[in-house]
Amino acid sequence: MFYSEAVYRTLGDLSINVEFGDEHDLRLNFRVMALANALKVHPIKGIRDIVPINSSLGIYYDPFTISRQKLIASLKEMGQGLGELTEVTSRLFKVPLWYGDRWTRECAAEHGKPYWLESLAELNDVTVEQFNKIHSESDWWVSAVGWMPGCWQAMPLNPAAAMKGGKATSPRSWTPVRTIGTIGRLTTYYPLRAPGGYQPIANTPVDFYDPKMPYPIFEGRPVIPRVSDRHRYVPIDETTYREIRRAYEGGSYEYEVVEEVYQVQEYIDRLNAFQKTLAEQESEGGQN
Amino acid sequence: MFEILHGGMQSTVQDVGRPGYGATGMPVCGTADRFSLAIANLLVGNDPGERYLVGENPGDAGIETLIYGLRLKSLGDTVIAITGADLMPTLNGEPLPMWQTVRVRADDVITFRRPQTGARAYLAIAGGIDVPVWAGSRSTYIRGGVGGFEGRAFRKGDIIRVNTPKRSFDDLAGRRLSPDLIPALRSPWQVRVVLGPHDYLFLDEGIETFLSVDWEMSDLSDRMGCRFRGAKLSFKPRPDYLIAQAGTDPSNVVDSGVVIGGIQVPGGMEPIVLHADGPSMGGYVVIATVISADLGKVGQIKPSEKARFVAVDTDEAVDALKELEDAISERNIVQK
Repeated sequence: MFYSEAVYRTLGDLSINVEFGDEHDLRLNFRVMALANALKVHPIKGIRDIVPINSSLGIYYDPFTISRQKLIASLKEMGQGLGELTEVTSRLFKVPLWYGDRWTRECAAEHGKPYWLESLAELNDVTVEQFNKIHSESDWWVSAVGWMPGCWQAMPLNPAAAMKGGKATSPRSWTPVRTIGTIGRLTTYYPLRAPGGYQPIANTPVDFYDPKMPYPIFEGRPVIPRVSDRHRYVPIDETTYREIRRAYEGGSYEYEVVEEVYQVQEYIDRLNAFQKTLAEQESEGGQN
Repeated sequence: MFEILHGGMQSTVQDVGRPGYGATGMPVCGTADRFSLAIANLLVGNDPGERYLVGENPGDAGIETLIYGLRLKSLGDTVIAITGADLMPTLNGEPLPMWQTVRVRADDVITFRRPQTGARAYLAIAGGIDVPVWAGSRSTYIRGGVGGFEGRAFRKGDIIRVNTPKRSFDDLAGRRLSPDLIPALRSPWQVRVVLGPHDYLFLDEGIETFLSVDWEMSDLSDRMGCRFRGAKLSFKPRPDYLIAQAGTDPSNVVDSGVVIGGIQVPGGMEPIVLHADGPSMGGYVVIATVISADLGKVGQIKPSEKARFVAVDTDEAVDALKELEDAISERNIVQK
């Protein structure tokens, strides 16, 4: 649901979530980023941290500097002057992925599960090759960073690339480090070996969380990804995987990244066209 | 300097923590009981730091030790203070008084024997623990393998270095916390919460149950989250679009920001109070949030002890925080 007005949820005495809706939709994430960017330009005294996650913006504040009531009043005022996000500075990363890598296969075997990449392809009525092609031919928008340092959730900027899939009902006990998992319409990254519910399909040789912060792209923080980054997943084979990993560990890896201004309308137009096609297909189906 | 003879159940370096990294998914870490660590630091002349989660200065670092087993040997002359849980600490086998400064000398051995009241004791050493500051804090982030002492809990043979004390040992002699401020740290535990952010997804009777059951702390609790058992909480019926987006389980929501103190209820069973090393994002409903002034209490509940959640509003929560922070003051330290 898209709320007609932002809802201010209480998270104890030091934090609120400004919620624009309660579903996964990039248009909600654009609203979140519009408010996050406005707060960077016009900071409100007392706010200590802002955390954009999907359809809500988390705000930590110091209640001895600003009361909750005053904070919400200021945010409402800011929200009224806020238009839709039209363009945003966004980094586009090429993220090398070994689809069907050995570690996620081993993980499936050890958990006594059929391999996720294969069952996801089957669920979507495509071959594994087609699945990987669809997954790697769209840009993906990072709509959340959290849970663990550097863990992201990304949604496809080509709506046709959102496939079917679900989260495990009970999480598996471990996932290999640097695993890429998906539930079809969302892709995520496991920066550390950890339990999880997203379906593992690939592994990247590159770290996006590294406490040693070994490359300038870290900008003195241990985590690279941020909301409003875009990713393009580039299929690689095992040999290339090992070469890139060696380069990363040896300090000679170069992140493939460009910073651009992204026009949000581009996505909205695509989404509208896609939804129109879907509706047409449906009505044709009805006529037959 | 100190040498670890036995690391105990889990002993880590902690200060007030590492706020400000929410957008990266880095946990705040830091002390599970702000008041106890702050008083230990204050007693030995260290910097107690600023408020948990929203302060800018994490203060000096001490050792947080869980339940039992930590044993360490002093390699020189210094002053220490132990606060928090009463883990029956001894100095060379003799009972070691808590909530006051104690002079120790080379070869003295400090042992934490077993829990009497509370779960986590704090040991501050004059000068504070000397480990590198990482991302603005000395706190240990165990899962990420970083911060504190080599990113891990202490093990036998580790050598702890200490910064230069700010005050002379003689000056620190006989300092103690005003006795009326020593917390009881025992059941019946009453943990104050503010309802939300997802209380509206529960039936009224679910909220009533949550606030009236004596919840038992599970031994599946750690610095990431403290888990409780006691009853099943009932949800309102679920709209179709939420089923499509977040699944049929009524305790699943689209991932949103969660905070330390947030009480997740996966499946409506076993509420989990997210704690210092907890995540920044989650996809389970959060029925209520423990007020920041009572997070330290949650860190002190032992497995199998019972606790009750009591609803307050945010103004009461802020007053409670003010009271707790005001008590961390030199004027509450008496010297005989």
